[in-house]
Amino acid sequence: MQAEVATTPVKAVKVTFTAGFSRRYTDSIREFEVQAKNIRGVIRAMNELFPGLGETLEEETSIAIDGVIHEVDYTQAVKPGSEVFFIPRIEGG
Amino acid sequence: MLTNTKDIQQVMKVVGTSPVRPDGVPKVTGQAQYGADYSLPGMLWAKILRSPHAHARILSVDTSKALALPGVKGIILGSDFPEHPFDYVGPERVAQNYWHMTRNIMAREKALFEGHAIAAVAATTAAIAAEAVSLIEVQYEVLPHCIDVEDAMKPDAPLLFEDMITRGVEPAPTKPSNISKRLEFSTGDIAAGFASADEVVEMSFKTAAVHQGYIEPHSCLARYGADGQCELWSASQGHFVVRAYTAKLVGMEIGNLLVHPAEIGGGFGGKTVVYVEPMAVLLSRKTGLPVKIMMGREDVFKSTGPTSGSSMTVKIGVKKDGTIVAAEGLFKFQAGAFPGSPVMNATMCAFAPYIIPNVKSVGFDVVSNRPKSAAYRAPGSPISAFAVESVLDVLAKKIGMDPLKMRLKNAVKAGSPTAWGPKHSHDGYAETIQALLDHPQYNKPLGKNQGRGVASGFWFNGGGESTASVHINEDGTVVIATGSMDVGGSRASMALMAAETLGVPYESVRSTVADTASIGYNHVTGGSRVTYATGIAVVEACNKVIEDLRLRASLMWDTDIKNVVWSDGYAKPVDPSVGNFEPLSLKAIAAKRGVTGGPIGYEASTNAGGQAPGFSTQFVDVEVDPETGHVKILQFVAAQDVGRAIHRDYCAGQIVGGVVQGIGWALNEEYIYDSKGRLSNAGFLDYRIPVASDLPMIEAILVEVPNPSHPFGVKGVGEANIVPPMAAIANAIENAVGRRMTELPMSPPRVLAAIDAG
Amino acid sequence: MSKHHVTTVINGDPVEFLCQPNTSLLDVLRNELNMTGTKEGCGTGDCGSCSVTLDGRLVCSCLVLGVEAQGKEIQTIEGMANGETLHVLQRKFLEHAALQCGICTPGFLIAARSLLERNNNPTEEEVRFWLAGNLCRCTGYNNIITAVLEAAREMRGA
Repeated sequence: MQAEVATTPVKAVKVTFTAGFSRRYTDSIREFEVQAKNIRGVIRAMNELFPGLGETLEEETSIAIDGVIHEVDYTQAVKPGSEVFFIPRIEGG
Repeated sequence: MLTNTKDIQQVMKVVGTSPVRPDGVPKVTGQAQYGADYSLPGMLWAKILRSPHAHARILSVDTSKALALPGVKGIILGSDFPEHPFDYVGPERVAQNYWHMTRNIMAREKALFEGHAIAAVAATTAAIAAEAVSLIEVQYEVLPHCIDVEDAMKPDAPLLFEDMITRGVEPAPTKPSNISKRLEFSTGDIAAGFASADEVVEMSFKTAAVHQGYIEPHSCLARYGADGQCELWSASQGHFVVRAYTAKLVGMEIGNLLVHPAEIGGGFGGKTVVYVEPMAVLLSRKTGLPVKIMMGREDVFKSTGPTSGSSMTVKIGVKKDGTIVAAEGLFKFQAGAFPGSPVMNATMCAFAPYIIPNVKSVGFDVVSNRPKSAAYRAPGSPISAFAVESVLDVLAKKIGMDPLKMRLKNAVKAGSPTAWGPKHSHDGYAETIQALLDHPQYNKPLGKNQGRGVASGFWFNGGGESTASVHINEDGTVVIATGSMDVGGSRASMALMAAETLGVPYESVRSTVADTASIGYNHVTGGSRVTYATGIAVVEACNKVIEDLRLRASLMWDTDIKNVVWSDGYAKPVDPSVGNFEPLSLKAIAAKRGVTGGPIGYEASTNAGGQAPGFSTQFVDVEVDPETGHVKILQFVAAQDVGRAIHRDYCAGQIVGGVVQGIGWALNEEYIYDSKGRLSNAGFLDYRIPVASDLPMIEAILVEVPNPSHPFGVKGVGEANIVPPMAAIANAIENAVGRRMTELPMSPPRVLAAIDAG
Repeated sequence: MSKHHVTTVINGDPVEFLCQPNTSLLDVLRNELNMTGTKEGCGTGDCGSCSVTLDGRLVCSCLVLGVEAQGKEIQTIEGMANGETLHVLQRKFLEHAALQCGICTPGFLIAARSLLERNNNPTEEEVRFWLAGNLCRCTGYNNIITAVLEAAREMRGA
């Protein structure tokens, strides 16, 4: 007898880029779905799709996780179904 | 940690009060030391030779006569600085290109603006240094120049960089131009959006460059030792950033440069970059003596970064009921002699307060022969807001809707979309509008030639890297240190947050700003980030101390740490069953520190995220003199969501200060160039900032919708307040005399011309 | 150019210094006498940061030559407090948050004291116009005006 293991699919993390960024770095594709538990995982997944992109994301962007803005931090957790938006880093005066 | 945005049940003991700041007495007695107030034995004075031409090739520089002058110890030129490869590094919005930056410090091949530094002389007295400057002979080949952004974009414009190809355009242009970059943010379908609108308004606007206008000119003192170690006293908005830029520009390791934070006499963004520091360090290295540089006011205007001038077109479409259905903006910003205007911020902030399903926002960063722009309080946002908030006013009038109510109808809140991507995550904007709707003066009737105008504004606010240390002294008093320069009282705010967290009186906390060798990295004091991010670091360090204090108490009571709580500044037994122990104060625990583990102190660092943006809504009543075009401010009310006011008076002070800068921007301030590209008004007489007799009391309303990501709910306060005033005043002028001003400043000759034109 | 010898009284103390004829009083105070409380904001008399009094008259020290101080009495910010006791204006500036960066504060204090010596009950408008020669970029002037009015009130004993 074979045991059937039912697996509940883990909801993916939605990753989005601005139009300008996507034109430059991701073949104009703005949205992606990846499996990741934290930002490190998100960056690793995007770097696998576009080698070299990981470093760009670390150096040039901030992120908004479900709208809340953060610096790029490997350990920052993301929940299944979260939306991670890479935005240009901002400076003030 | 607060768990929801609306519910503040905590009773604060010190946070929210307004005590005297720790640097207060030194500042009212003249004892505080600003950038120009330091001296060292044997110090040399440096003066700078600057280009008299707006655009010229530098053919030769002969310093021989200057070097021969007795008392002259050293001269540097651009060629004394190490070269840097042409490469944009870092975040796109603030991409640094050291090839540009080193040339901004001192010219190489070309002088790109009047005032561009060509050489610097260090001598035993300032007078000798100035005389030596006049003896330096420079051969220039004067070139045609361009100043205005539209002129710089023309196909036949004189080029600042013969190889500048516009970035952000696909396919890349084949011909060079002065357009450094094009960028675009869009969402939805604006053609369909405009087609569905009941009313559409499209207007064009121009704004002039304005300077941050800090009263203290840039100054520093450098001492370079024979061992390659250098100390620098500098007035800046960020001594760690000064260290990083200066070390890179002169070719030093960061660890060999120690920067002491002098008190700063105003920055507003303009002192987040370096001008004189690399020169002072190089001259000190060359001469073996300390070198002091203080810029004169004329040089500040001619060679340090104002914010951009602009040319903009904004088109907005609304339904009859006031719903905004589409918005389009074209923003051309003049960056000065090197790329880097705040046009990206402007394109992102322009429509940010409003829920608009169809948006297209395009920006151009354009170079021209004037000083390189630098950050100025919410950089970029006040400029695009002038256009957007004016158009909204015209639309509100067209559909017969109160302008505040139209904004309220479209106001973003937590979960609302932005044009540039992620959802908004915080409430607060609608509350600022409501605060004005509820204001008793908002509907007060006005007289002849008087009018009322409203406007709103948005700014991102910053998070980022900060470090703080907290130590308990032997007598139980507390010392906290951060690396965040104090521009407006943040030492007091840090002390308030530490005192509140530890449960001790504010007066027992000493709050300082430490140098780059004595504390970990802190990013700039700017971007409205310090009370937020450095506050988080301070609270975290305090929490670590509290854990240790509990441990020390547990050792003193010979009980388990879980039996000890920290409450109201004392270690207490969690309940009477633990034992009959009197509460232990900081003093008591500190007295026993030797046997319980030694000195008590911790450092905490953060790369803070989770910051909330700033929203401000303002109304202004003006009276226009139809004979002179002079605009008098009768009343100005500014509401801003500050999350939670740590120091109420300093919070309100930020709002009033930003509003008054906005008033100057609206009514008087501009750069006036002659036909040769030389600045005609390089001084405070003719670059007219507001004075006390121009103004009434400005009213600041602190709206508090706390940010749950900060231990006290703080939202940055410094910048959002400068975003609305220009449009608010333009809208008030229209209400007063029926004339729509689309060019800044709205100075008397312009307003008069508009009135006379009929 | 050879230097002149100048004898003067500063904050009640006899002071002597050497300076060239074209050196400003501001530069003498800051660079010869190490009294850096008086600030340079513009060097051309437009900002008021360098305000001092010369024989009781409010002046911009950047527009006064060092040699003009010969035989005169100068008051600077360093002389405003009485030992440990702050002048009421200094206290009010602190209580009412009338400074943010503080660079203009010495100039404002000297100018405000000069006003209150002449008019111990000024209106808000009178205060604003008297202080129109002092630039502040940080505060928007609200709290400075309030502090001066409150100081006047206390000095009147009102």
